[in-house]
Amino acid sequence: MDLLDFARGPALQVGLIVFAFGVAWRLAALLLLPRMQDRSKAREGAPTAAIASGREVLRRMWPQGAFAEATRFSVINGYIFHLGLAIIVFGGTPHILFLRDLFGISWPGLPTNIINGVSVITFASLLLALARRINDPVLRLISTANDYISWAMTFLPVATGLLAISHLGARYETLLAIHLLSVAAFLVWFPFGKLMHAFLVFVSRGTTGVHLAHRGAQL
Amino acid sequence: MRLHDAADCCSSEATGMAGAVLNEIAELLEHFAKTGEETIVDLRGLPMTDADRAALEDALGQGEVTAVVDVAGPSEVWETSYAGVWWVRHRGADERITSEEIVVTRVPAILLSHSDDVRASASRLRETLASDDVTEPAQTIDQGLEETSHVG
Amino acid sequence: MSDDRTLGEVMTSRGVSRRAFLKYASYLATAMALPASATSVIAQSLATARRQSVIWLSFQECTGCTESITRSYSPTLEDLIFDFISLDYHHTLMSVSGAAAEHAREQAMKDNKGKYIVIVDGSVPIKDGGIYSTIAGVTNEQMLKDTVKDAFAVVSVGTCAAFGGIPHANPNPTGAVAVSDIIKDKPIINIPGCPPIPEAMTGTIAYLLSFGKLPELDKLNRPLAFFGESIHDRCYRRPFYERGMFADSFDDEGARKGWCLYKVGCKGPIAYNACATLKWNGGISFPIQSGHGCLGCSEPNFWDKGSFYKPLAAATAGINAEVGAAAVVGAAIGATAAQIIKKRRQDVADRAIKKVEG
Repeated sequence: MDLLDFARGPALQVGLIVFAFGVAWRLAALLLLPRMQDRSKAREGAPTAAIASGREVLRRMWPQGAFAEATRFSVINGYIFHLGLAIIVFGGTPHILFLRDLFGISWPGLPTNIINGVSVITFASLLLALARRINDPVLRLISTANDYISWAMTFLPVATGLLAISHLGARYETLLAIHLLSVAAFLVWFPFGKLMHAFLVFVSRGTTGVHLAHRGAQL
Repeated sequence: MRLHDAADCCSSEATGMAGAVLNEIAELLEHFAKTGEETIVDLRGLPMTDADRAALEDALGQGEVTAVVDVAGPSEVWETSYAGVWWVRHRGADERITSEEIVVTRVPAILLSHSDDVRASASRLRETLASDDVTEPAQTIDQGLEETSHVG
Repeated sequence: MSDDRTLGEVMTSRGVSRRAFLKYASYLATAMALPASATSVIAQSLATARRQSVIWLSFQECTGCTESITRSYSPTLEDLIFDFISLDYHHTLMSVSGAAAEHAREQAMKDNKGKYIVIVDGSVPIKDGGIYSTIAGVTNEQMLKDTVKDAFAVVSVGTCAAFGGIPHANPNPTGAVAVSDIIKDKPIINIPGCPPIPEAMTGTIAYLLSFGKLPELDKLNRPLAFFGESIHDRCYRRPFYERGMFADSFDDEGARKGWCLYKVGCKGPIAYNACATLKWNGGISFPIQSGHGCLGCSEPNFWDKGSFYKPLAAATAGINAEVGAAAVVGAAIGATAAQIIKKRRQDVADRAIKKVEG
């Protein structure tokens, strides 16, 4: 069994198993947890939970108020690499084939040169995010291993994917194998680190919105 | 019906390689005129399409000498309209082109009688005369090959 | 069958001139991408070489490799290779001769000690003492070791001899292995393919003859001249890949228009062979040109890389029962955890109420 066989076979199999197990565990544990009852009376004029959560989700889509200046870079750069990742994962033909094989549905892919361009932008954007994290004293102080590992698990598939499409450094089969191994590592880490925010980000923002609205925060 | 348009797409389009090869030949020819050093350009080893080779053939044209060498299939040899630039096209017995080259030289080696062959034929002629049987025709290559035991 | 005359002398005695050597050399130089200036050197070396003794061993194989080499495309020119070598033993072709053939093999080994080339097609079974394939009561493993002992080099033709091939495929009931798994002390050239391209076989042998040394090989011992580039790199459909134009099935518009076959499982990007350039059956076509993706038959374990029609980008197993079970177990553990916390909160609340009431 060569490296590519290992990556396409056992490595991705383990990645998918751990991913399915971990995500199901964390989602079930969180969503089935009985909600703490807030027995206080809601402030007068407080919106319903649905409106409050939706409003908070929307509000946090863009830098706000006193934090606007401080968070502008993170938010804009965040948009760049999140959109970039989405375009690469859901627009690149090999990725669509990967997903089609898993879920049985497919859609037309984007031309290779567009994916290549987006990949380069995403690559640079992720590097900027790391540079910012290291250089900003506050950000550096509150960063944990979890942040750096989650960053690396996102960065590696982008970097190795770029190498694979540009045939740089090794033969294509080796580069493809390394790329798939990085995806397997991403899948294994996903449920246990901050990458889980992909599932939880809107749940937590919505919940926060409901709490704030209940207490009458005017945002 | 042509099922595979793409199958023909890439062999019928000229890529401009003919011009590049012509430039190289011009250089090789000047070099040969100066130094007498022969060179060979392997036309099948270059990324040339059929259209490229046809364009090159047109550009070089036909000169005064044309020869056919009948050895393990026909080989066509001609001097192009530029003296010293020879086109050699080897074919197998099935007429398929097995190799094709431009040779910058006075006479391509394939046309020359090799000294070993000359020696061998001298002794053969002598033997034939000695055996008094001058009516026996000389063997040609294809007869010679037929006598060898081939696998399959 | 030793013959002290040079090939030039042998051929001259048959009325074949040196021009044939020159023509063959030119063909070889083109096929192996040697510098055109090497032509006269090759012709000269061939003419002064002695006829090369070759012993061809056939083990666990389907005879496809022999079929391929005996149908090399340009009769009379390609067949010259059979004048350049002395095929002293070919197991499949000589099987009717029985013991006489085996004597010929032993005689050739004695006469050409240290100089003969052993060509092997087929893998070698080693399970249960190698009993799954025997010739004249001798196991393949034993015959290989005995025959190779005094050889100059070994050429493994076909994926079975080179990498174990189809007999080696999961579950490999006979314990089939490649020649290189058994022979460790001789130079080995692998010419894989199912079957290999005839020109790759004859070209490599002619190279050995002309230069008296092994051609440049890759890390899997394959001659770089034929296995240096991937099918994908030299595929005439490559522009469609770059433009994102793919066949989605074997009978859609893309397939009819001859677009890239990546989506229907083509292994061209990881398969190293000369099919896209030399092609098959006298340069008529090759699998991709005929509308089918490359199977990657010149690569180790090509049979065990999942479905031939599964795209390279897809995981071999996909979402199977194990992944589903993992999700169910994960959800059950999560639900239990939530339940325990719920219970704990209830207990705390109960105790508090009891305290107030008490």
